Amino acid sequence: MRRLRIEVDYHRCVGSSICVLTAPRTFALNEQGQSAVLDPEGDPLEAVLEAAEGCPTMAITVFDADTGEQLFP
Amino acid sequence: MLVQDDLLAPDVVRDPYGYFARLRETDPVHWNDRWGGWLVTRYDDVVRAFRDPERLSSDRMAHFQQELTEHDRERLHVLIKYFSKWLVFTDPPYHTRVRMLVNKAFTPTSVERLRPRVRQIVHELLDAVEGRGHMEFVREFAFHLPVIVISEYLGVPPEDREAVKEWSDETSRIFFIRADDPDRRERSQAGLVKLLEYFEPLIHDRRRNPRDDLVSALVQAEERGDLLSHDELLATCTVLLFAGHETTTNLLANGLLALLQHRDQWELLRQDPSLNRSATEELLRYDGPVKATFRWAKVDVELGGKTVRAGDRMLLVLASANRDPEKFPDPDRVDITRNPNPHVAFGHGIHVCLGAPMARLEGQEAFAALVQRFPHMRLASDELEYHPTIVSRALAELHVEW
Ligand code: HEM
Ligand code: HEM
Ligand code: SF4
Repeated sequence: MRRLRIEVDYHRCVGSSICVLTAPRTFALNEQGQSAVLDPEGDPLEAVLEAAEGCPTMAITVFDADTGEQLFP
Repeated sequence: MLVQDDLLAPDVVRDPYGYFARLRETDPVHWNDRWGGWLVTRYDDVVRAFRDPERLSSDRMAHFQQELTEHDRERLHVLIKYFSKWLVFTDPPYHTRVRMLVNKAFTPTSVERLRPRVRQIVHELLDAVEGRGHMEFVREFAFHLPVIVISEYLGVPPEDREAVKEWSDETSRIFFIRADDPDRRERSQAGLVKLLEYFEPLIHDRRRNPRDDLVSALVQAEERGDLLSHDELLATCTVLLFAGHETTTNLLANGLLALLQHRDQWELLRQDPSLNRSATEELLRYDGPVKATFRWAKVDVELGGKTVRAGDRMLLVLASANRDPEKFPDPDRVDITRNPNPHVAFGHGIHVCLGAPMARLEGQEAFAALVQRFPHMRLASDELEYHPTIVSRALAELHVEW
């Protein structure tokens, strides 16, 4: 399985929860109400990409952890 | 403590920033007896409130209904029925279900595809006035751009746009017009009924002949069964049409005014058009369209050292949070290169503006085109008048010349 590296930009994240609702085993809100990565492989890749695309502020960047290739955006 | 308590006093309407700054410094979670609610003015407290939808409700219609007599509830039942299904006025789980259905169509990636078309509309609107040397920017530009963009996206044909805009404006009377207009609720409902009557056949048509537009996409969600009921579909079409009109108009007008009043920033943007993204964010922060939004406490909540009681209403003052020196260095300065710029002009948390990517796109294209095409534009009048409302920061007119 493809391993992912996921970054959340905390200057951008506005705590909409959309990523959490889309990929609930990958993202959760932390104590500050912002998105935190629980497990980069918690959900299928399609769900992770859908979560990143669904983010209203483009706060989420997804990389292939092995090759470093940027998968979103 | 002596504080001006009339939120619609002329000096507060003219300069809300000075007024709210004094509150933020002296009493950041302030009970306003006259208005009957709390004013929350610090960035951190506003954000904390936005992140607490479990305890702080957005269900405006529940509270609205309580204030009505039986007779009025009867008379306004259409309004109550559909507004109760509008995203901004609802709490989870309804909110979550509908937001997730419409969210895909409004992501930054989806909306980016509209950029060439938005640019074209901007230039067409400017072509129409260029030779004349002057315009009233609100009516001749800022009104039109948002209506054209959202109407096309929804699938409203150009020939129907004028009528739809008029009904939408009627519908919005309840929100943006002063409380002393006695007929505003009836007129609002009448406008809404027109919109509903308009969308029924459009929805019917898209059910048989789906197209590449938002109504077709929502119809497909409705047809999948449990996702979206017919009434919810109608409510969502009307809220999408309505929600971005006045707000985006005000972004364009307030933003242009700020650029013209801070000439160095105008020049900076003219020399480097790629600053149009950060400029739009800064203009949203500096003088955004929405001064404040509401929440209702479901239980007692501690905020900024005060106890907000269950049932109390509160005004989260975005205009003040965005000028909080604890969050933004030199907050009263316009700096179009400001980065990061975590302003709350679009709200925050689960209700964060659905249309933000679209409004941003319109702002970016409009500001870039204005400085490029009218490098010598200036204000034609020093007199600025704002509509007296608690929530929106709305210029009545903006006369410019070049
Ligand atoms: C610059 C222009 C705009 C501003 C400043 C703005 C501001 C806001 C704010 C502050 C909220 C949150 C209200 C709250 O939490 O109580 C909001 C919600 C919303 N806005 Fe906007 N808005 C703008 C443009 C638009 C546009 C263009 C659309 C639609 C195409 C739109 C659709 C919505 C919707 C549907 C919601 C409710 C979202 C939800 O509850 O999940 N807005 N907006
Ligand atoms: C997007 C759809 C929106 C809907 C459907 C809506 C709906 C309403 C309703 C039903 C009222 C009550 C009017 C009354 O008491 O007679 C109202 C008032 C108001 N709304 Fe909204 N609103 C919307 C968006 C916004 C936004 C984004 C803001 C700013 C955040 C806003 C600011 C206000 C203000 C300032 C008032 C006057 C409140 C008062 O005087 O008590 N509205 N709105
Ligand atoms: S979708 Fe984006 S803004 Fe919303 S919680 Fe996730 S990272 Fe934050």
